[in-house]
Amino acid sequence: MIGSDRIHSALLAALDLKLGDQAEGVFIGSESGLTRFANSAIHQNVAETQSKVYFRVIIGKKIGVAATNSFTTGDLKRAYRTAARIAKAQKDHPHFVSLPQPSDYLAIKTFFEGTARFTPRQRALKVKSIIARAAKKNCTVAGSLSSGSGELAVVNTLGVKAYQRISTTAVNVIAMAANSSGYAEGLARNIDDIDFRAVAATAVDKALRCANPAEIPPGEYEVILEPPAVGALLEWVNYIGFGSKPFQENTSFMSGHLGEKITGESVTIYDDGTDSSAIAIPFDFEGVPKRKVELITQGVAKGVVYDSLTASRDGRVSTGNSLTPDASGEGGLALNLFVQSGQSSLPEMIKSVENGLLVTRFHYINGFIDTPHAVLTGMTRDGLMRIKNGRLRGGVKNLRFTDSILRAFASVKALSAERQLINAWWDSLGCIATPAMHLGSFRFTGQTDF
Amino acid sequence: MKDKLKATADYLKSKGAAYGDIRYVCTTTENIKVTNQTVDTLAHDVDQGFGVRVLVDGAWGFASSAICTRGEMKRVANRAIQIARASALTKRADVTLAAVEPVAGRYVTAVEIDPFKVSLPRKLELLLGVNEILSQNPKIHVAEASMDFFLTDKIFVSTEGAEIEQTLTESGAGYTATACDAGEVQRRSYPNSHRGDFGTGGYEIIGRMDLRAHAERVREEAVALLTAPVCPSGPRTIIIGSSQMALQVHESCGHPTELDRVLGTEISLAGGSFLTLEKRGKLRYGSKLVNIVADATVPGGLGSFGYDDEGVRAQRFDLVHEGVFVGYLTSRETAPLLGQTSNGTMRADGWNRLPLIRMTNINLEPGIVSLDDLLADSDGALFLDTNKSWSIDDQRLNFQFGLEAAWEIRGGKKTQIYKNPVYTGITPEFWNSCDAICNRDHWHIWGVPNCGKGEPMQTARVAHGASPARFRNVMVGVSQ
Repeated sequence: MIGSDRIHSALLAALDLKLGDQAEGVFIGSESGLTRFANSAIHQNVAETQSKVYFRVIIGKKIGVAATNSFTTGDLKRAYRTAARIAKAQKDHPHFVSLPQPSDYLAIKTFFEGTARFTPRQRALKVKSIIARAAKKNCTVAGSLSSGSGELAVVNTLGVKAYQRISTTAVNVIAMAANSSGYAEGLARNIDDIDFRAVAATAVDKALRCANPAEIPPGEYEVILEPPAVGALLEWVNYIGFGSKPFQENTSFMSGHLGEKITGESVTIYDDGTDSSAIAIPFDFEGVPKRKVELITQGVAKGVVYDSLTASRDGRVSTGNSLTPDASGEGGLALNLFVQSGQSSLPEMIKSVENGLLVTRFHYINGFIDTPHAVLTGMTRDGLMRIKNGRLRGGVKNLRFTDSILRAFASVKALSAERQLINAWWDSLGCIATPAMHLGSFRFTGQTDF
Repeated sequence: MKDKLKATADYLKSKGAAYGDIRYVCTTTENIKVTNQTVDTLAHDVDQGFGVRVLVDGAWGFASSAICTRGEMKRVANRAIQIARASALTKRADVTLAAVEPVAGRYVTAVEIDPFKVSLPRKLELLLGVNEILSQNPKIHVAEASMDFFLTDKIFVSTEGAEIEQTLTESGAGYTATACDAGEVQRRSYPNSHRGDFGTGGYEIIGRMDLRAHAERVREEAVALLTAPVCPSGPRTIIIGSSQMALQVHESCGHPTELDRVLGTEISLAGGSFLTLEKRGKLRYGSKLVNIVADATVPGGLGSFGYDDEGVRAQRFDLVHEGVFVGYLTSRETAPLLGQTSNGTMRADGWNRLPLIRMTNINLEPGIVSLDDLLADSDGALFLDTNKSWSIDDQRLNFQFGLEAAWEIRGGKKTQIYKNPVYTGITPEFWNSCDAICNRDHWHIWGVPNCGKGEPMQTARVAHGASPARFRNVMVGVSQ
């Protein structure tokens, strides 16, 4: 940990070179470790100390960005000068108005000492206990356990001065029996919030329940999607639809449909970086405070998330969803997604299904097929189960789905009251908090023999 | 820097490490993207640091840091040793490594024009010019053109005495026109989708692409797709363009031949492989026309280098020979299971990542037919071009690819254009249906700059040589 004072003063010292009309410095630092296991043994075990500093220099309406991972005074000033040199060579950005003004930030506890200081040996002992639990049921396990801490700071020449310490831990476990597998995961800012025994037990239980999977034909099925499955769908739905860039480029399923009903009424999805029940963070990479942004409310398309550049294009203000300065061409992205929970529970959902499937998770989804209709394809994995007459009836061989998620979400029958935090590709910056979903219709279009 | 790495190697030996290596990497990156005449990305990044990988108590430890001082290297070395001892708490057997002769060597990418010395105004002029051509139709809502350049300096030192320095230069560019009308969105790209084409080399790669020359065609094809019929569904004879063949090789041959996947060590994220050990030398993976090689030595390929990140020389070897699956991509740890030594495919995407088995240039060898002759012999077939979407199961069997466009072949020509083509299949069935591969005149090594694998996620730059190829009885479209 470098600390807010040292980071802010180092960034401000570079901005003091005053080679532009406005300038911004962003610091992202981390001390992290990840223990990976497979075949019931640790095979990869890594630690990393990394930091990245971005400078964005504005000359008129010209924007230059440069980055370095060195924190020496000389290298910081060199990176700042490079950003200024790039800005000079740039063309005017038609949508640039100003860097953000200073704001107040919510005080949110995002750092837990025990998570930050969790040692490789402690991680190995947790993994050892997962291996032992699986071995008792004749399963082998694979997965990973990460823990670590980070610092995020933003300053700009208009007076923005933001700093936040974070810690994050994530675990995933795949249990493997003779011809089946099961999956479970956990994610938290505080490692004490993860029930490792439950994660291991769930993965093992699923693997055993799915033994000797039966073959079923592809087709339209009633399904229950467990939170990891919903989270995987939403990762893509978010990327192709909830950001300002696809919205403004008319490739999003939200484009031209604000105010219209696009899914079932029980579907409400929003972004909220301030909700500490998930992986909160109080501001974005421009130092704009996070807030709750409605995306879909009771099935109606309400809006998308913005950074300052794309917001000015639409005559709006940033929603606090900018990415790092090098990715500012990508517009805003929702990193703290919530699906509003319902009243049901997983056992109740299963009880209500006469003939359907329970999906634990999906694999290798792709959402570029037909973005205006949010058509996604992907495979089931690690726990596809048949439901007959309200009871789980064993595993089935994996299926490929290809479906419009808007169409599928129009058929929502129930949502669980309990939500789970699902790790997304943006890691410690947020997550997807989602309940399980019971859908009346989901289209499977292909099959495998495993 | 090399002296500091050697001192760290000596320190690891003094602490009783059975093996250790220290890898310093400094990568300079330049990304430029122009969207609708606005330069929305113009970023420069310098990223450097070192990683220490060590075998202690028969298990691996790895630690890394961006602070390249002697003191920090010692601290990180101690941390790697601690981590290895923690790993050993669950070991089932000691890790052993295939013996390799320690190399003292240097490798430098052949570069004609240093891309970092080409002025920004010159690069912007080209991208803005292309962008302007793409935008000259009101139905084009998004015109996007980009360039990316990477300069990587690496120093590798091991406790066995290896001392290797490499300087790799990688360059790429591409563009996409996205047409929108009445809720329909269609796109065409050049020279490939997903940020274009890449290779090892300098700015001369960009020059050879002749970016301006194809922009008008790309724009008009994107607009034509808006009113084109949906690609007909059903079992069809298809000819797949070479850039999509590259991705087909990537997903259905490259990944499943990675021996770490086969052995289960990538299960937690990417999955396993259907190419299990007993199938080597026996499985008819494809028709007799199908020859797939891994070749890290081919000049200009994005997967070309001098030495991998275990200090093993770049190599060329067979993966599929005359349709029979014969080989894996291996490492020093995995190769002994096959009674072999490493074939040099271990690469990390930076100083802070552990090397993993990665594709190099995984090439579908060219056949003998010309594209004109193949089209003339394929009346009624579909020609599918340029990837739009990709998905494959965790054993690499069931795949589905979406493409930007398809054309019906009539009278030896591409005629009716179709939108939203998708084809799907099972890997060995698909490759066994291959009955023609175009010759070397149509063969190109396509750079894939975004191959994801591992935890923490690593992005490798790999490549695939391929030419258009014909497949029979392939399911086109998606059953509903």
